[in-house]
Amino acid sequence: MINRLKATRFLVQQLSDEPIIASCGNPKFDLYTAAEKRKANFYMWNSMGMASSIGLGLAMARPDRKVIVLDGDGALLMNLNTLATEASMAPANLVHIVWDNAQYQITGGQPTHTGSKTDIEATARGAGFKQAITVNTLAAFKTALTRALSRPGPWILVAKTDSDTALGRPPKSPVYIKNRFMEALRST
Amino acid sequence: MDWPRKIVSLLKANDIRSISFVPDSVIGQILKAAGNDPYFHFTTLAREEEGVGIITGEYLGGRYGTLMMQGAGLGNCVNALASLAIPYQIPFLMLISQRGELGEFNPCHVVMGKALRSILDSLGIQHYTINREDELEAVLNGAIKTAYTVEQPVAVILSVTLVGWKDEK
Repeated sequence: MINRLKATRFLVQQLSDEPIIASCGNPKFDLYTAAEKRKANFYMWNSMGMASSIGLGLAMARPDRKVIVLDGDGALLMNLNTLATEASMAPANLVHIVWDNAQYQITGGQPTHTGSKTDIEATARGAGFKQAITVNTLAAFKTALTRALSRPGPWILVAKTDSDTALGRPPKSPVYIKNRFMEALRST
Repeated sequence: MDWPRKIVSLLKANDIRSISFVPDSVIGQILKAAGNDPYFHFTTLAREEEGVGIITGEYLGGRYGTLMMQGAGLGNCVNALASLAIPYQIPFLMLISQRGELGEFNPCHVVMGKALRSILDSLGIQHYTINREDELEAVLNGAIKTAYTVEQPVAVILSVTLVGWKDEK
């Protein structure tokens, strides 16, 4: 099992100012805890499932930047059709990371379908992804991420994580989050 | 009937480069008029809600988009509009082809057709209906300008009196 906060810390260490879209639920808490001063972080406070769609749109509009999405298994299952659209539009600069702990962690750990039948990597491949990988250890995550950041995608990187919780809480003003993020993107 | 070409030229005039859509027969005519124009970037959506996210991402990256869909699609977008586009202040044009009003043959389109404007009103989204071709330029230009001014989504509804109704028994 991978610790999500440790994996998030490793991710931001590999980046300079590439944009990161962090899903509602725990991914945004991890990202803020790992890199609260980082301006190119987009924190979502709702809109479950939309992180990957935002990342796709941004990746298409800014083909010059790697765009990273931090998604969760529950959120992805809510917008599963995103896999077909991402694979079809296929921006090479999109890295879609799915933290998969097989539960709706933020609402009390109720199981999701990835704990029983559903394999996200296989689903992504079926949707048309060529670059898809599942990792179970931090070492394997580091190797896979390094490859995804250096080679053309789009990538789906499914990381099997535990359910530790990060303590940081990002700012709640949506307009502040947006303006700060756009300013960071404009300056690069 | 020149409305599809007029819509396309007004999108261009307003710097809208991205078209995300779930097609219907009306949207299909606009897509046909846009053809393979390299000015536009087309995204076929599997579900309309994705479009709200994609257009948000494009806007964050500096590109304006429009979401084209049938009225039914608004129902699939409600939470993304309420929790993403509106609070994060993402301006864009929703171009909605109306079903369920004049000349409707399908009872399963009527309820959403009647609810369309109330849903937009409940969300606080400004909306305008184009009934005639001579209204197109003022309404579309104006709606887009207002959306950018207030940094909010806006809806323009294409009435069957503009586009004709789907003739089926």
